[in-house]
Amino acid sequence: MTELAETDERVVLVFGDISVFLFEPFTRRFPARFLNLGICENTLISVAAGLASQGYIPFVHTIAPFVTERCLEQIKLDVGYNGFPINIVTCGATYDYAWDGPTHQAIADIGALRLLPGIEIVQPGTREETDQLIRTRYASGTPTYFRLSDHPHGASHAVEFGRGNVVRDVGGPVTVVTAGPILANVLPAVEALPVNVLYYSTIKPFDDELLKRYAHTRLVVVHDATGLFEQVCEHAAGPVTRIGLPDRFVSCYGTIQDVRREVGLDSEHIRQEVTAVLHGTATQTGRPRVSPPHGSAAHVKVA
Amino acid sequence: MTPSARPARALALRCSRVSGQGHLPSSFSIIELALSAYAVMRHDPAAPHWPERDIFVLSKGHAALGYYSVLAQLGYFPAEAVEQFGAYRSTFGCHPDRFKVPGVEASCGSLGHGIGIAAGMALAMQLRGSTRRVFVLIGDGEANEGSVWEAVMVAADRRLSNLTILYDHNRSQVRCLQIPNPAERFAAFGCATTEVNGHDESAIIAALKKPADTVQVVVGRTVKGYGCPSLEEHFFEWHRKSPSPELYAELVSELHAKTI
Repeated sequence: MTELAETDERVVLVFGDISVFLFEPFTRRFPARFLNLGICENTLISVAAGLASQGYIPFVHTIAPFVTERCLEQIKLDVGYNGFPINIVTCGATYDYAWDGPTHQAIADIGALRLLPGIEIVQPGTREETDQLIRTRYASGTPTYFRLSDHPHGASHAVEFGRGNVVRDVGGPVTVVTAGPILANVLPAVEALPVNVLYYSTIKPFDDELLKRYAHTRLVVVHDATGLFEQVCEHAAGPVTRIGLPDRFVSCYGTIQDVRREVGLDSEHIRQEVTAVLHGTATQTGRPRVSPPHGSAAHVKVA
Repeated sequence: MTPSARPARALALRCSRVSGQGHLPSSFSIIELALSAYAVMRHDPAAPHWPERDIFVLSKGHAALGYYSVLAQLGYFPAEAVEQFGAYRSTFGCHPDRFKVPGVEASCGSLGHGIGIAAGMALAMQLRGSTRRVFVLIGDGEANEGSVWEAVMVAADRRLSNLTILYDHNRSQVRCLQIPNPAERFAAFGCATTEVNGHDESAIIAALKKPADTVQVVVGRTVKGYGCPSLEEHFFEWHRKSPSPELYAELVSELHAKTI
């Protein structure tokens, strides 16, 4: 960010008192352009819109659910309808703050934001993808939501804004469509299966062309968020199976791995579900998969 | 009523009559506040995007008809154009659209948004060391929204002396959440606050010209429907009602009889 600010004097950071210590080089170099406005997400968005109206390129940053689900209307109207483009860069994706419980889980952010006209949604899965996508789109003149996670998937492939990646093509009858960090659980899950894998680092705009190439296969969306399944369903001709978030609040705490296991997004469960699709026994489009029982003893940690 | 404030109200009445749309009482309460802001602003109706202009944001977007009437009176567009108010594919919607209406800087309608945008605009000017100013008009009903007070806190914390909040205290909330002492509240939030008769242009202008080293708030004591006693007395009934031909004639007659 400091590097961007060196070359582009329009860049300003609008923070909600989160990650401040990580930006010491920026605050030292550009103290006036580091605007830590306080814990007031609605106003972060509105103020950033006002800054954008005067030619600045704001990066609004705080924890994902607070700056998306809480201030959906500010994003819709102050940014979207008014055409004041800002960047929203979040931490705390889905279950990143597992131990904090449902108040800190971003579950509706992508699903809700994708419904707003003209907003780009980017979900990088690694630091390199983040770097590439931010540099490409930060000054696009269009509002962009960058949904970051501190649990990268570890795979390496060159991403391009608006394009999906073929991560695995074995000519299989089933294609898993996924996005962001959960790729880390998808790859081992399908390792021994005749399954193709498509990876989307941009959720909106959606790379429809890539999906069309796999239209003859059975599609399975694996995503630890909302939004991708809906995008795929809107573009797919046939049935789509969803392996995703349950229709309940997940309050089991623990680590991200604990919560992913709780909701069936661990590699073993994904493997079972995809295998079921291969055998033709899986649920159909839009029907939520039945999740393991909430708060089972194995996942309840008592101090 | 000062002579300058009558034509805008007359136009708003006519457009409401022709279009069947509009929030007349709310539109009538903002006329002097808006005219006074433009009286001290650097602006050029012939060049709405002049880079050195000051900015006015109508945060309470439902008073659009009053605002359009003021802008027409200032020369931003012909008064007759506003008669298309609310019509299909009209430039002039019941809430203002910045992409359509010359002079409109932010599209507002849902309450509690424009003030935050205005704070961001003022912050941008402060960062650049610009002398441009931002004026934002909010309503007392709008101040029920928590986002208003978030924005005020941030603006005061940043000492945005180039931001002026015009507070239309038209007592629209008598049946629910009233804010009886807005000047004290804004002062407690760290603003430089002045309270005036919101229909006295010279008093408003004097308040707007006061030097301040932080956010300035001018609380205007206003009357919903000011200018037509029928609207003033029955403002709830008239909240979103347009006059029939008979009532229109009565309201015009009331408007021209009104003295301050």
